[in-house]
Amino acid sequence: MKPKRFGPSLYGTNRFGMASSSPLHVAVIGTGIVGASAAHFLAAAGARVTLLDASGPAAGATGASDGAVSVASKRPGPMMDLARHARAFYVRNEREGLFRGLFHRRSTFLIARTAIEADLVAQHGGDLAAAGERVVEIDRATLLKRIPGLGASVCAALEIPDDGHALGYEITERLLQRSRVSVRRNAPVSEIVMRAGRACGVAVRNEFLPADAVLVAAGIGSAPLLGLGEILLPRKGQMAVTDRATAGGPAIDGHLMAASYLAAKRGIVRDNSHIGLVIDPLMTGQFLIGGSREDHRGDHTTDAVTIAAILREALDLYPPLAGRRVLRSFAGVRTASRDGLPIVGLHPHRTGVVIATGFEGDGICLGPFMGASAARLLLGERPEADLSALSPQRFARVEAHV
Amino acid sequence: MTSYFSWNGNPVAFQPGETIAAALLRAGIIDLGQPLNTPGGRVFCGIGACQGCVVAVADAAPVEACLTPARDGLRLGSLPAVGADHV
Amino acid sequence: MCEAPILVVGGGPAGASAAASLAEAGLPVLLIEQRDQLGGAIHRLPAPGNASHIWRPARHRRNWARLTARLQAAAGRIETHTQTVFLGVDGQDRFLLDDRSKGLVFTRRLRAAIIAVGAVETIRPFSGWELPGVMTAGGAQVLLKETGRPLEGPILIAGSGPLLPAIAAQLAKAGNPPVAVLERGRPWNAPGALARLALSWAPMSEAATYAATLARSRVPYRCGATVTQAEPDGDGLKVGIRIGEVQEFLHVRHLLIHDGIEPNRTGIPFPEPDADVPVLLAGDGREALGADAAILDGHRAAMQLLTRLGRANRAAASDERGLQRARDFQANLARALHSEPVVPAPETVICRCEGRIYADLATLAEDASAREIRLMGRFGLGACQGRFCGPMIAALRGQPLPVTTPPRWPLRPVSVAALARLTTDETE
Repeated sequence: MKPKRFGPSLYGTNRFGMASSSPLHVAVIGTGIVGASAAHFLAAAGARVTLLDASGPAAGATGASDGAVSVASKRPGPMMDLARHARAFYVRNEREGLFRGLFHRRSTFLIARTAIEADLVAQHGGDLAAAGERVVEIDRATLLKRIPGLGASVCAALEIPDDGHALGYEITERLLQRSRVSVRRNAPVSEIVMRAGRACGVAVRNEFLPADAVLVAAGIGSAPLLGLGEILLPRKGQMAVTDRATAGGPAIDGHLMAASYLAAKRGIVRDNSHIGLVIDPLMTGQFLIGGSREDHRGDHTTDAVTIAAILREALDLYPPLAGRRVLRSFAGVRTASRDGLPIVGLHPHRTGVVIATGFEGDGICLGPFMGASAARLLLGERPEADLSALSPQRFARVEAHV
Repeated sequence: MTSYFSWNGNPVAFQPGETIAAALLRAGIIDLGQPLNTPGGRVFCGIGACQGCVVAVADAAPVEACLTPARDGLRLGSLPAVGADHV
Repeated sequence: MCEAPILVVGGGPAGASAAASLAEAGLPVLLIEQRDQLGGAIHRLPAPGNASHIWRPARHRRNWARLTARLQAAAGRIETHTQTVFLGVDGQDRFLLDDRSKGLVFTRRLRAAIIAVGAVETIRPFSGWELPGVMTAGGAQVLLKETGRPLEGPILIAGSGPLLPAIAAQLAKAGNPPVAVLERGRPWNAPGALARLALSWAPMSEAATYAATLARSRVPYRCGATVTQAEPDGDGLKVGIRIGEVQEFLHVRHLLIHDGIEPNRTGIPFPEPDADVPVLLAGDGREALGADAAILDGHRAAMQLLTRLGRANRAAASDERGLQRARDFQANLARALHSEPVVPAPETVICRCEGRIYADLATLAEDASAREIRLMGRFGLGACQGRFCGPMIAALRGQPLPVTTPPRWPLRPVSVAALARLTTDETE
């Protein structure tokens, strides 16, 4: 993204109608991958950015997730289309330097272990192809050559060759380094302060921080700030990380995604004990294995019964994991919206407030692009993709009742 | 009768009840291999805490050499050794 | 239905003492120990079938014989699992136990838990401490007790504390006296503390025995002497040492280092004596006061638990007095051997698991969160989970490592297959 184009709205009259000779001052709430990206692109466009986090960088779901930059896993419709834009954004920024060394192209394998799952995978493959994605059918023998040791129950698979891998906390760190925006840690925002219907700053404990505009990318913490308590819900995911299977580089040639994960993403199962299995080979040679999908759970505890269930699924899909040790378990809290789509756009009533949250389990894939898009919206620019499906406007009526 | 396990393909003798670590050290094997960009593995704390002496086990998960009794026929090697020939 | 047992984690002096005391009071005990025999690091027994016995003070032999007899007398109420590693407590308050001999993780409904996992040795990092051939003095001592055989080749012992002359003397008696013992501290600079130490009969008579052995074997014991670096050299190590202002090099096969001990608290649940399932700590894992105090502390914890459970007990004021004596002794020892921390060279390895160096630590923000230190710094993220780099980072940053909440499990790496085979006695 070339920031120069934002110039005119930063000085003179910005989209909030304020005449100003000093750069626009934006308070960004949340230093996850979305907030860091928004801050980076705002700063690159010349804005003055105050970046706040209740804890610290990548303290939420960004630092507790797998590293899938995956179109393969997305629900058909706007999410699949936006994921393609978001992944292209990674590719471009890897090439141009911003994400150099942090984004790696790799295949996603959608894996079926029963006839019903095979149908689901095939249907999903059709949806991906219709969205313009490359999809390769792969028989068991070929798959075994690519991923030696796969379980006997694996009966069908599709390869999505253009997906990628990035770690949320590494991307966040890079964005913060490059933008040179300093982070105020341990700065929980208690209120977005409004004056005459327009945001004029934020309150951090008893301190008022003035700002011309506020961008909220605080995950589940966005709910109380925006009155979205009825709309955003936490969905906990438990995961495990193993020791290294290789001295460096991914241990297997792609991201393994079980049909059970697709079933959850497509809304076919909505059971709190459901395991949406993914096996993510990390660049360190370790495996990240997830995960549970526990609605209304905002805590970060993990329990042995759930982790053991995840591991049993993982061993069935990929038995060589029996040669690994679990180094730790952890839980991330995804922020989901009622209708399953993220919320990105201008606040329907509060001028000067831009929202970018509700990315559920797709924040690593979508985050950098959505942060950049939210920055553009704030600056009065048109985003690179049509975000109308994500507009907060769709909940405006709901909020009016809150 | 002496028992043996294999270390990176070579037999190492041990006495009954002895740990893998004790047998390796007696055989003069101090450097347990170069698993990472870090130096080779080694017996260090002796109580399973430091994880410096973790060794790969054929067909099983790695173990701490200092905690694990040696067993006849175990095939052991330097980490990580998944798919490596010597285990 | 069976009465829920009290879990005792650790079969060292504190755990054995707690287990025996609870069983003697009529309570069922589930005692777990990571090794294949009870004893802990201090009472490490020779491997079965190994007749060679390493010399150790008679007091320790008597103490362990007494504890063993008590455990045997109460064996009917103690279910012992050896080769079983405590993995921590999960988010639903399950105590997770990794039975390595069976290859599965199990949990039990418990009445209470006493955690007595002992201490870990602290070390002060220098360039080369991460190399093969460098071992902790305590680790070498456990090995010596188990095998009865000293390490082969020239050995240098360095760091601080009473363990240094102890292991040196044991090596000498076993036939391989070390080339030197380098004590970082300068006890002669703290004559008051030294004088008070001299009043502690048992440890001082033990120290005198060690001193005599070292003198007989002509092992130099140098105070104010440190290791500055080590590097690979043939099949051994070239070790740089500094004694006062003099720098010299020694060629050795093994370098044993040790700078005291501290409670092994990584991932250990916080003590909650008043919880539904009370959790207490005992022994060096609660407060590093040494082997004799650990026996008293195990008894003290058991009596505290009995009181909590509404049972009659024989809480002993002598336990508290003994613990206070040990505390005073340790405090005087710390004063006598005190030395200022040294800032390591930038390339010094701090986190060995992940190969992170001191310069990496310096780039982290002053107010970096626990997660930043772990994720961005990759400190404490490796297999040892910060047991060694945690205390080093705390000392070097001048502030304790921020704790991760909730406490993480597994607190030790566990086989994927064993955890997948989790068995619980829950009726769900």
